Amino acid sequence: MNVSITPHSEHAPERITPSRTTVWKRFKKQKTLHFFVWIGLLFLLVFSYTPMFGILMAFKNYSITSGIKGIFTSEWVGFKYFIEFYNDYMFFTIVRNTLVLSILKIIFTFPVPILLAIMLNEVKNMTYKRIVQTVSYLPHFISWVVVLGLSFTMLSTDVGLINKLLVSIGIVDKPIPVLTDPDYFWGLAIGTAIWKEAGWWAIIFLAAISGINPTLYEAAQIDGAGRLARIWHITLPGIKGTTVVVLILTIGSMLGGGLIGSNFDQAYLFGNPSNNSTSEIVQTYAFKVGLAQGRYSYAAAIDLVQSVISVILIFSSNYIAKRVTGSGLF
Amino acid sequence: MLKRKSLEDLVIDSVNYFLLTIILIVTVYPFYYLLITSFNSGHDALLGGSYLWPGDFTLENYKTFFSQKTWVMALFVSIMRTVIGALTGVLFTCLVAYGLSHQDLVFKKFYFAIVIFAMYFSGGLIPYYVVLRSLGLLNTFGVYIIPAMLNTFFLLIAISFFREIPKDLRESAYIDGASEWTIYTRIILPTSKPLLATMTLFLGVGQWNSWLDSAYFVRNENLRTLTYRMIEIINKSEVPREAVEHAAGAGVTSYSLQVTAMMVSIIPIICVYPFLQKYFVHGVMLGAVKE
Repeated sequence: MNVSITPHSEHAPERITPSRTTVWKRFKKQKTLHFFVWIGLLFLLVFSYTPMFGILMAFKNYSITSGIKGIFTSEWVGFKYFIEFYNDYMFFTIVRNTLVLSILKIIFTFPVPILLAIMLNEVKNMTYKRIVQTVSYLPHFISWVVVLGLSFTMLSTDVGLINKLLVSIGIVDKPIPVLTDPDYFWGLAIGTAIWKEAGWWAIIFLAAISGINPTLYEAAQIDGAGRLARIWHITLPGIKGTTVVVLILTIGSMLGGGLIGSNFDQAYLFGNPSNNSTSEIVQTYAFKVGLAQGRYSYAAAIDLVQSVISVILIFSSNYIAKRVTGSGLF
Repeated sequence: MLKRKSLEDLVIDSVNYFLLTIILIVTVYPFYYLLITSFNSGHDALLGGSYLWPGDFTLENYKTFFSQKTWVMALFVSIMRTVIGALTGVLFTCLVAYGLSHQDLVFKKFYFAIVIFAMYFSGGLIPYYVVLRSLGLLNTFGVYIIPAMLNTFFLLIAISFFREIPKDLRESAYIDGASEWTIYTRIILPTSKPLLATMTLFLGVGQWNSWLDSAYFVRNENLRTLTYRMIEIINKSEVPREAVEHAAGAGVTSYSLQVTAMMVSIIPIICVYPFLQKYFVHGVMLGAVKE
């Protein structure tokens, strides 16, 4: 850009002004652009940064009637609400459910898209491949509410198609209460998460596979490597980088249910008074305590505990990835 | 090249095709079952036994759906929030992205830091609710639209897209005396049609599917969305079915109405999502790596 000194720079010593005046000149020239950016930043200030300051209410005796100002003016109570949460009768249950669901999802839902991508890659018939792929990510675009409704038509004890089928064939005596029995909730959550999102996440792994040099496969074939050997020695190492990145991100966001972020929707929509003991998680509990019971400070404290653990998870998974593979995200 | 199928190939191919076909069925059949159930009379659907074709074909479910005021109103609100929410979201996000896309923008680093930080951290739902309440957005149609106007994920996509547009286009217009606003509306937007189409569709799908805001940020019954009404009827269906049967008359049950509502919610998605296909890979990648 223009680095020359302006003619009117005699007020200040020549050595300092160049950069300053040019920055100012550039800024003035770009002022419309800065205006565009500022309304965006103003938006972020209101809808992202103000709620971040709102975290303060977890340490305060906040009352909803005092509005945003109350976040700053209400009285400090220190860790009162955190201690209260620790002594909450639901504490153990919801922390366990959150952790179990998150870990089970990493174990079971993370590998499925990789497998699906490899399977699709092995299909020689392009039309069939495209049909399966297109169909497999349809559920990604469907609302969790509709997925709940679909589970209902498939699995409920009275109208559920699968239950009706099982009973009429005689495999079970009476319908299996998948949607209401607490013993089934974790399986239901993992199953619906896979059904809804595996096809979508397979796209990224398919893209990674398509980036592998095809001559590698030809060379391996000439050397006598079979199909499984080629998958094992070429395809899998070829998508290692992508897998690591996705895994780090998944672990970092695991308390929310991984990259899909499905824990809240699932626990909230599929949870009901009968399966509460396995379906209630930290997020849904905070939500209900806060918005339904009006205990805002308490709910904010519960939410904050989860956020802090999430941030720790992001940084530690990134650190471990850096140590193990030599590359992290930041 | 001489190709001979080995035994290994044969086994792998058959297992693979078999499993993929099962995946295909498991994914498609629930939707198909929904379709035939929505065209089946409510009573026949409760009896079961219709797996491939409606046992008692009828249009009553759809007639009832489109004649009940709550459903029509909910559908209307859903359509309005989808159209308005997607359009305002696209235009506003692109405007900010246009400002940020200039490589020589002063304070660029600082601006980006603010955006990226907001992308990674949030204050959580409770403080967010307090903000909405203080702004007077609760219980208004605006609560669906205004907080969704700036999408940080698409902001970054739009910035990288705008940077690909040849600089000469912008600069020659600038020399001709065009204002930044004119350049944005006359040059940037018209040359970014693929981006605009993708953003509109993705933001629209997001608006169409969202349910939490309608359930918690709104109390006015005329502002409830289709997703909210679906949750309502599904939860109602958890009580013994006989109690709610005959509610609507003419072979329509609460269950068949629920299934019909789900079809109404799914059909627009099925029509739209194949068109998004082209842009998936780029989008998913960026979503995974964030910048």
